[in-house]
Amino acid sequence: MTWGIAFAAGTVTGVLSAFGIGGGSLLLIYLTAFAGVSQQAAQGINLLYFLPAAAASLPSHHKNGLLDKKVILPAVLAGLIAAAGTAWLSNTLDTGLLRKLFGIFLLYIGITQLVKRDKPGTKNTSRQPKAD
Amino acid sequence: MEKRSIWKHAALAGGAAGLVNGFFGGGGGMVLVPLLMSRCGLERRQAFASSVAIILPLCVLSAAIYYIRGNLDLIQALPYLAGGLVGGLIGGRIFEKVPVAWLKRGFALLILYGAWKALTT
Repeated sequence: MTWGIAFAAGTVTGVLSAFGIGGGSLLLIYLTAFAGVSQQAAQGINLLYFLPAAAASLPSHHKNGLLDKKVILPAVLAGLIAAAGTAWLSNTLDTGLLRKLFGIFLLYIGITQLVKRDKPGTKNTSRQPKAD
Repeated sequence: MEKRSIWKHAALAGGAAGLVNGFFGGGGGMVLVPLLMSRCGLERRQAFASSVAIILPLCVLSAAIYYIRGNLDLIQALPYLAGGLVGGLIGGRIFEKVPVAWLKRGFALLILYGAWKALTT
């Protein structure tokens, strides 16, 4: 029963994660607000959970020519260094404090996503990905 | 856009995503997608897809650190992983057919609910 609910929650958020936005944060919200998992443990599950969902969606994205290597490489290199530092820091923090900071982060993201409108003509000025 | 400029902006975007993703164990895509669109000139669907490719290695590294620090229970995570795999396959297939802009508005409401829960409980 519990396993089935966890599987269903993973499936729904997995679909959303394949779109590159929202899914992971929604699983974190589910784990901490409904499944009673501590903030750090939920974050650990969320990190691991993202791996198969992302890996499974990448071949389709690649086939559709949506992956821009010139952007991806430098972003990954800088991201790895940054993530190593903050992942370590996060695991030393008090759970309650981390949860409050997470709440503030969600508040910011939720509000910006609600109020932000895309600039007109954004699509027309975009670069096309190289087919290499 | 000039090549060196793309490198700089992409590195800054990836670094910002790494800070958030390591600290909160997720949410890197929320930071990354808008930056890839505004700073690196990617179209919406390219930005969404490329953000998945960028976040993936960051999550591998962060997950390893969470595991080392004792905050990753592999057995507890297993059903979510299995669901995530199925969901990822479905999501990749239907990606081209989904109105992402409309979905974002729906996400925003759920995220604000999560914020309220995190700040009040």
